[in-house]
Amino acid sequence: MSQASVWRRGDGEVSLVRLYVIRAVALLAIWGLFQTVEALFNHTPMDRGVHKALLGGLWVMAFFAFRYPLKMIPIMLLEFTWKCLWLIFFGIPQWWAGVGSRQLSEDLWDIGVFGAVVMPLVIPWDYVWRHYVKAPGDRWR
Amino acid sequence: MASTAASISSSAAQQEELSLIRLYVLRAVYFAIGILEGSQVFPVLFNHEPTARGVIPSLLSGLCLLCLLGLRYPRQMLPLLLFEMAWKYIWFFAFGLPQYLSGQQPPTFGDDFFPITFGVVLMPFVIPWGYVWRNYVTAPGDRWR
Repeated sequence: MSQASVWRRGDGEVSLVRLYVIRAVALLAIWGLFQTVEALFNHTPMDRGVHKALLGGLWVMAFFAFRYPLKMIPIMLLEFTWKCLWLIFFGIPQWWAGVGSRQLSEDLWDIGVFGAVVMPLVIPWDYVWRHYVKAPGDRWR
Repeated sequence: MASTAASISSSAAQQEELSLIRLYVLRAVYFAIGILEGSQVFPVLFNHEPTARGVIPSLLSGLCLLCLLGLRYPRQMLPLLLFEMAWKYIWFFAFGLPQYLSGQQPPTFGDDFFPITFGVVLMPFVIPWGYVWRNYVTAPGDRWR
C-alpha cells in the first residue's frame, strides 16, 4: 500500500481530500435545498408535497453526511442512481424530443449534470466496491 | 499507524451486532420497499406523460433499487431507511396531516396518504434506534486531518 497522504488513502479507507470533497457536496446540498425546506412551511394548501418532502428528507441526510461521509454513502449512491434514472427515462428523451416539462432546462443541470457527471467523481468507488460489493453480507443465521 | 488503529476501531463499531430477528425485520422492510413498492413505481419510468417532470418516480425507483442491496447489508444500508422515515414524516406533518384536518386536499391525496402514513407508523418500530444512536450520532465523525 502506498504511503498515506492528503491525496492517497494509504492504510485508511479513503484519502483525506475525498472526505473533504464529500463534505463539500453535503454543504452544497444543505445550502441548495434550503429553499425547498423553507417551502415546507410555506406552501399552497393543495400542494401534493411529495416532491418537497423527498428533497427535505435528503436535506436532513446531508447533515449526517457532513459528519459521517463514509457511513452515508448509501445516500450518495441514491443521489447517483435516481438522477441517472431521471436522465435516462425523462431528461434525455424530453431533451431529444424538444418537448418536456416546464422545468426541463433547470432539471437537466441540477439533476442531469450534477447527478450523472459530478456524483461519479465524488463517490469513492473503490470504497463502495470493498464495502458494498465484496464485503460479506450480514449474517442470515 | 494511527489511521490503521482508527480504521480498525471504526470497522469494529460497524461490526457491532444486531439481533438476528432485527436483521430479518430490516431485510423484510428492504424487501417490501424494493419489490412491493418497486413494482408500483418502476412501471411509471416506462409509461408516463411525455412532459412529466419525473422527479418523484425517479427518486422512488432509485430508493427501491438500492433497498435490494439492503437484503445483503441491512446495517450498512440503514441511511436509506432513515431517509425513508425522514421524508415520510416531513410529508405527514407538512402536508398530509394539515390537509387531512382541513379537508382541502389535492387529487393525489388518496393515493399518497395511506402508504406514507403506513411508513410513519411502521418505521419507528423497524429502525434499531440504539444502533443508530451509537453509529450515527455519538460515534466520532470521520477524520478531519
